[in-house]
Amino acid sequence: MTTAFTVNGQPRRLELDPATLLLEVLREHLRLTGTKCGCDDSSCGACTVLVNGQPALACTLLAAVCDGARITTIEGIAADGRLTALQRAFGRMGGAQCGFCTPGMVMAAKALLDDNPDPSDGEIQAALSGNICRCTGYVQILASVRAALAEAAGAAAAGAAQPDAAAAGGRRGFGPAPPRQATKPPAAHG
Amino acid sequence: MPLPAFQLHRPRELAEAVALWAERGAAGKLLAGGTDLIPSLKQGLFAPDHLIDLGAIAGMTGISRAANGDWLIGAMTRIHELAEDPTLGREFPLLAAAAAQIASPVLRRMGTLGGNLCLDTRCLWYNQSYLWRQSCGFCLKKDGSVCHVAPGGRRCWAAFSADTAPALLALDAGVELAGPAGARWLPLADLYSGAGDHPLRLGRGEILSRVRLPAAAAGMRGSYQKFRIRNSIDYPLAALALALRREATGGVTARLALTALNPAPVLVAGLERCLAAALAADPPDLTAAVQLVNRAAKPLSTSTVPSDYRRDMVQLQARRALEACLA
Repeated sequence: MTTAFTVNGQPRRLELDPATLLLEVLREHLRLTGTKCGCDDSSCGACTVLVNGQPALACTLLAAVCDGARITTIEGIAADGRLTALQRAFGRMGGAQCGFCTPGMVMAAKALLDDNPDPSDGEIQAALSGNICRCTGYVQILASVRAALAEAAGAAAAGAAQPDAAAAGGRRGFGPAPPRQATKPPAAHG
Repeated sequence: MPLPAFQLHRPRELAEAVALWAERGAAGKLLAGGTDLIPSLKQGLFAPDHLIDLGAIAGMTGISRAANGDWLIGAMTRIHELAEDPTLGREFPLLAAAAAQIASPVLRRMGTLGGNLCLDTRCLWYNQSYLWRQSCGFCLKKDGSVCHVAPGGRRCWAAFSADTAPALLALDAGVELAGPAGARWLPLADLYSGAGDHPLRLGRGEILSRVRLPAAAAGMRGSYQKFRIRNSIDYPLAALALALRREATGGVTARLALTALNPAPVLVAGLERCLAAALAADPPDLTAAVQLVNRAAKPLSTSTVPSDYRRDMVQLQARRALEACLA
C-alpha cells in the first residue's frame, strides 16, 4: 500500500507491504540507521523516534499507520549541520557509552525538553524511564540531560552576542567535562 | 522480527470498522495502539489475515461530559492523556494514578484506553517467542493441549493484566460496545469472561467504543497499588485499585478491584460491610478487609515471581490502599 509521510522534513512516498514496521522503513528502506533495534518487543526504547512531535517506538508502529505523519529521527535534530546541546552534552558527559541506547535516550530527552524546558531531576528520570541502557550508565545519561539544560540556560544568559558560547566546553569523546575554555567549537558532524 | 503477512484496513468511520470486523473478525484482529498486539504478532501468538486499524477513525478519542453529568472517554484516547488530564485527575484521581503507572512514558503515548481494557491475558508460558514455546512445550492457550500452570486441568489461567480495568471497576464504569445492530452499554465487569484463553465477552462485530464514568463516582478518593519487577515498562504482577468516599451519614462507599492475579479483573464483593465493621473499632481494624481481598486473589505460577510472593504483596497493597484512603 502507498504510504506518505515526512522524515526529518523530507517528504517520502513509499510502496510498502502492510506488515512493514516503521523501524524497518527507517533502517532498511531509507538507510537511517541511527534509530536502533534493541529488544524488538517494545520494552527497551532504543528505537524511540518522534511522530508528530510525540515519542513513539518505531519497532511497534506499522509504517502504514504513520501515513501523513511528521517523523523525526536522531539524524534529523541537528540544525544547520551542528549537533544540538543535548547531543553535545551526551558526548561530553559520557552519556554515550557503547552508544546503542543513545539515539533513543536523546530522542526521549528531546521530547521531554520540547514539552518542558525546565524539568526537575525527577521529571528527567521519569521521562527516560522507558529507555534501557545495558551499560547501566544512567548517572552519566541523567547528567548529560542536566548539562544540556545548564548549557541552554548559560547560552540564554550570555545572550545573542556570543551564540557559540554554549559549545565552548564541548569536546568529542567520553569522560567528564573539562574546565571551560574559550576555544573554537568542535567541528560539526552529522 | 518480521510480522506475519496480513491485509491492513484503515476505516475512517466506526460503522465501517464494525462492518469489517463483523465480516473479517474470525480471521482478524483489531489494532488500537499496538503496544501489546505488535509484539504478540512477532511472537507468533496470532496470524491474522486481516488487521483493522482503529487509529484513523474520527471521534474515538477525547474526554467529554454527558448531559446527565457522567464522563465519557473515547476508546482510542491515549493512556498518557488519562494520566495527564488535569480535570480527570481531579475528579477521578484513581484512574489517573493507574494510567500514570502503565508501562513507560513512550508506551503511554502509544497505548489506548480501549486497548488496555481489551488486553490479552498474560502468562509465563504464553508471552514468549515461538522458539521458546516450542522448546518448553506449547500450552493450551496457544498451539498446545496442556496448561503448564495447572497441569491436568482444562482451564487457562493466564492473568488479565491491564491497569485501567481495576480502576474503572472500582469507579463503577460502563463500556459501550458498537456492533452491527447498534450500540449497547454494559457494566465493565460484564466484558470479562474469566477464561484465560478467551478473556473478552464480545459479540460478533462488536468494538469497544466508549467508557462511561458515573458522576456519582467523581471526587472519590483513590489509591492504585502496583507490584512489578521494575517501576517502568513492565506489566503488573499484582495490582489493586480502591475508590472510597466517607459519606456525610458516617457510612463508607468503597469499591476495590484486583488485576494481574486472576484471568479477569475482580471486583471484591462485600467490602463495604466489612469496612463498616472495621471502622467501628478504634483504631480501625483492617484485618478482615485485607483477608477479604486476599480470598478474592488467585495468583498462580503465571510469572517468574512466585505466586505466594504475589499473594503477600496483594495483602500489603490492600492494607496500604485502605490506610491511604481512610486517613
